[in-house]
Amino acid sequence: MKRLLAGLVAITGFALAIGAQAAEPVRIGFSLAQTGLFAAAAPSQLNAYELWRDQVNAAGGLDVAGELRMIEFVMYDDRSDPSEAVRIYEKLITEDQVDLLLAPWGTPHHFAVAGVVEKHGFPMVGNSAASVQLRDINPGNIWFPTSAIPDLMAVELVAMMQSQGVTSVALIANQLPFSLEIKQFLVPALEAAGIAILVNDEYPPDVQDMTAMLSGIRTAAPDAIVALSYPSDSVLYMNQAREVGVNAPFHFVLVGPTIDFFAGMFGPSLDGVVTIGHWSPYKTEWARARPFFDAYVEKYGTTPDYLDSALAYMSCEILQQAVAVAGLDHDRLREVIALDTFDTINGPVKFEGVSNATTPTSFLQFQGGEAHLVWPESVATAPYQPKEAWPQ
Amino acid sequence: MADLLSTQLLFAALVTGALYGLTALGLNLVYGTMRLLNIAHGEFVMLGAFAAFWAFTLADIPPLVALPFIVLLTAAAGLAIYRGLFRGLLRNPRLAERIESNSLLLFFGLSIVLQNVAAALFTATPRALPYLDSIIRIGDLGMATDRLATLIIAASVALAIVLFLRFNLLGLAIKALIQNREATQIVGIDVEKIQRTSFALGFGLAGLAGGLVSMLGQITPFMGFPYTITAFVVIILGGLGNLGGGLIAGLLLGILETYGVALTSTNYRSILIYGVFILILVIRPQGLLGGRRIAR
Repeated sequence: MKRLLAGLVAITGFALAIGAQAAEPVRIGFSLAQTGLFAAAAPSQLNAYELWRDQVNAAGGLDVAGELRMIEFVMYDDRSDPSEAVRIYEKLITEDQVDLLLAPWGTPHHFAVAGVVEKHGFPMVGNSAASVQLRDINPGNIWFPTSAIPDLMAVELVAMMQSQGVTSVALIANQLPFSLEIKQFLVPALEAAGIAILVNDEYPPDVQDMTAMLSGIRTAAPDAIVALSYPSDSVLYMNQAREVGVNAPFHFVLVGPTIDFFAGMFGPSLDGVVTIGHWSPYKTEWARARPFFDAYVEKYGTTPDYLDSALAYMSCEILQQAVAVAGLDHDRLREVIALDTFDTINGPVKFEGVSNATTPTSFLQFQGGEAHLVWPESVATAPYQPKEAWPQ
Repeated sequence: MADLLSTQLLFAALVTGALYGLTALGLNLVYGTMRLLNIAHGEFVMLGAFAAFWAFTLADIPPLVALPFIVLLTAAAGLAIYRGLFRGLLRNPRLAERIESNSLLLFFGLSIVLQNVAAALFTATPRALPYLDSIIRIGDLGMATDRLATLIIAASVALAIVLFLRFNLLGLAIKALIQNREATQIVGIDVEKIQRTSFALGFGLAGLAGGLVSMLGQITPFMGFPYTITAFVVIILGGLGNLGGGLIAGLLLGILETYGVALTSTNYRSILIYGVFILILVIRPQGLLGGRRIAR
């Protein structure tokens, strides 16, 4: 009797194993800053990942070279610590043996895990990273879909200001790597263009009050104000610039305006503000852009971040399209990602080395509460409008 | 450089100072009466801000209307923590001796737990309130209505607390406990009741500060820590346990920050604040207004 039972159990187990094998999911691993310094920034990326996973699974699964398989995430918290991300990606590749990788949040984390994917020859499409130093990373196993790279941004921002007849500018910058890197390229570009820098100030990330700095800008009365700011000081800037009455027809605020709460908090005050971003749901030529925006809003009740959410979703789309052709073989996958052109919510994307070679460096402007591409004109979804004085 | 005589700078200094003073007042009450180092103070500011956010978002209750309820809510949370974590420790004389360092660890743990519970419940996505965002202009001076309201409420509550401690019997008993714990027990004051009251008041004030800052900036589960740090700087400057001293130090810090930055650069904010902080600790280790009777 015992033997019979054991036999039955073995047979059932075998049958289950076969059944499971047929429907075995594709396991995709990544780490995100769920706690710590960057925890507030990471949800926009995770939301995009989860939206993509749910959409693909609802459509029957991920096309792995012709075979449909469900997607399963293997996610860890890297506590906003790049060295923790390194340990996690090592574990994902060697212990968890995931089939595919998605990127962690932010430039330092991308740099940190670039070495790991290189070591294991495991191709990964990055997303929320932007630095000129990205180009120094060995090409082969990591790619960056962003076109908001500081040196290109500086050149394009100055070109855009020139097209608006800007002759003087006030420049303030948060002392964080990304904003300082942009500033490093922006100052010489402004000087070369003959635009006078009337105010050139920096402030620490924990700034609590900008009244003194903004009073100085009001006195200088420049044509343009460029605030190289991060979300929390962007809020401070917007509030206090209105309060102090700092007005300029050209108004650039770096990171923050495209985060959902910003539009809710500032409403019509946000109109006219120019910000970083190369994606907009109002670009009708990009057939996938609007459906992504609508699906995101429906699922989360907030708008996607125009940079991080869009880039995260793009990296998923690129991976999805590459896997459909190449399957899960690393060598084949690397080849396809490096050579093919991908249809994304941001239009066609093709890589050269580690960089996106097709998407132009662009800027968004808020108009009637909508974030429109206004620069360069070749991709613009609306013409640029000079910013009016702050509403009272 | 900004005009130092501008009313705009004065307004900014007062708003910053009033918020610093209010945040520090709650921390100081809890430290003064029980020698508890509440590292989780900023987390109660965060909870107050979230309470204001949800009241506004879910029930259309404006933050200014919700404030009294937020104060009650955080005060109740304070009481629960007092009963759950500290009453026993304070009663046991052996444990009470080590209460300062033990409370630091307990509150540190509590702060991590609260941050992560808030992140799990509300997600880490930053949020903000569109409320009182018109600007009042008088001549050259522009005042955002929410900042003006913050100044008025923070200043009046701080003043009310000072008056309460000076003229109300319970307030006087709190002061007595801060000044001399043993003598307070000898003259028959109900120490347990005073501790309870101070705890509730201290946490309620943190919630109040949270309700106010919810109108000014972004709300996230991790927003509390800078408030804890600033509050500690303020109460150490003013003299640990010296409530009036803390309020004056908060105001001075606001003035120092605003005018110091106007004279130099926003770059020097931290150097200015911590430079003056260290300088004062070297010259007057008991704090600007701390007397010998407090520093024990």
